[in-house]
Amino acid sequence: MDRLLRQAAGLGGAALGKLQHTRIPGVGQASTTEPADVAARRWRAVTVFRDDLAGPFPELEALGPDLEVRMQPAAGGRGTELYGRFHGTPDADRIGELRAALRRTKQLAEVGEVLRVDPATHGTRRPTPQGAALEGAAARAPREGVL
Amino acid sequence: MKAAIWAGVDEVTVEDVPEPQLLNDHDVLLRIHKTVTCGSDLHLIGGYIPAMRSGDVLGHEFLGTVVEKGRAVQRVQVGDRVVVPSFVACGSCWYCSQELYSLCDNGNPDPGITEGLWGQSPGGCFGYSHAMGGYAGSHAEYMRVPYADVGCFVVPDGVSDTRALFASDSVTTGWTGAHLGGTQPGDVVAVWGAGAVGQMAARAAMLLGAEQVVVIDRLPERLAQVRTHIGAEAVDFSTTDVVAELRERTGGRGPDVCIEAVGMEAHSTGVQGAFDQVKQQLRLQTDRPSAVREAIRACRKGGSVFVLGVYAGMVDKFPLGALMNKGLTVRGAQQHGQRYVPEILAHMESGALTTEHLATHTMPLSQAAEGYRIFKAKEDGCVRTVFEPGS
Repeated sequence: MDRLLRQAAGLGGAALGKLQHTRIPGVGQASTTEPADVAARRWRAVTVFRDDLAGPFPELEALGPDLEVRMQPAAGGRGTELYGRFHGTPDADRIGELRAALRRTKQLAEVGEVLRVDPATHGTRRPTPQGAALEGAAARAPREGVL
Repeated sequence: MKAAIWAGVDEVTVEDVPEPQLLNDHDVLLRIHKTVTCGSDLHLIGGYIPAMRSGDVLGHEFLGTVVEKGRAVQRVQVGDRVVVPSFVACGSCWYCSQELYSLCDNGNPDPGITEGLWGQSPGGCFGYSHAMGGYAGSHAEYMRVPYADVGCFVVPDGVSDTRALFASDSVTTGWTGAHLGGTQPGDVVAVWGAGAVGQMAARAAMLLGAEQVVVIDRLPERLAQVRTHIGAEAVDFSTTDVVAELRERTGGRGPDVCIEAVGMEAHSTGVQGAFDQVKQQLRLQTDRPSAVREAIRACRKGGSVFVLGVYAGMVDKFPLGALMNKGLTVRGAQQHGQRYVPEILAHMESGALTTEHLATHTMPLSQAAEGYRIFKAKEDGCVRTVFEPGS
């Protein structure tokens, strides 16, 4: 049963990734017109509601020297756009790390800390494949999305 | 401590669970005095929103006392009696600066799920599945509230617990619809749904200056509350052609503002009702949008339709042609409660806004399963079941 649940958790995370990267119009975020390697080389960005945003950004620096970072003022007084892009063609996991790091950097700049939710109070977790799949998806969620 | 949890589809139980702890410097812990069922909980309990994990603590409308606070919390003090909007908002991002608090960029720690579904992630919500952050809910003796200086509002001494409780979600949600729906002095406003949110949307529209407010439902006891406690007109859709009735009551124009406060499990009559039920059960659509369709049909040319009921995914047979050719403005939102709670509490203190009649049933938290059963069945005239974890 434990093995089944571990597999289900893995599948949940994979399913979320699949949802994001399915090349169907209106489903997930993957481009239906660009090759995957072109999409992988795009800049990922967050807009930080701070006009005076300045580095260093430890969360981004931790991703290594392959990461290129740039900033520019956002239109309409919305703060500063913070961009990151890896040299070469990164894989999905690497892009996921960048998404999560950009989000953490934004929170640190705007709020001063990264919001935590775990450990959340809960009752009995029934060991079901559906539940394990959901946990897998939730664990992967910070690294997925539109960035 | 005791908490009411989601144990599976249509299954609510009460269990001993660990007490929450401060996780961030901006957190507070509350001792919960009152926490209440919401119609949108039924979507979670019934499995319509498939991001619930067994063991998740339910509840997102609540009132309590601060018992512990993080070191960065300044505005809120231990001992304060506070009401908290159900959406988690940081107060520092651009969306919060625009008072669009339920769209907070920093309120949902799991944005990948909702970004995949909707293209962007709204903020998080207490007790509202792992798609909305995975926060533990309020049906418990104690609860953690992040960003406390933004989300906690001290209740004036003259406002009772039961009245203030509904400032957490029902009134704030209703107020969001009436305000962002564009209600102007002199307007005619129609509201679909006479549950707590619909009633409060109607009352908010009146306080914003609407000249005529009509609420549509099928349950006699709720329509009676609309007439008695809200002071609005009431229409029974099970015996009345709603669009014809609204046309007749408005000199042929239709309402200026139409607020839909029903959501994805809407009931409707005839072929449309059967069609939506079958398609939803076959998973060919996720939500039943009959009230939204009717609102678009009924609204005056150039008017405003506000979708306040909770929807999760796709609907079928959406009247896009009517929307476009009638020049309608359609808008939707979860509640931006942090924007409205101070104004709402002032109205509650003055007596212009009362909510006690919504609490038709009050019971200890240990009876949560029965409380939800009565609420779902709308048994015994139930509008809302309030739980008291301390009793």
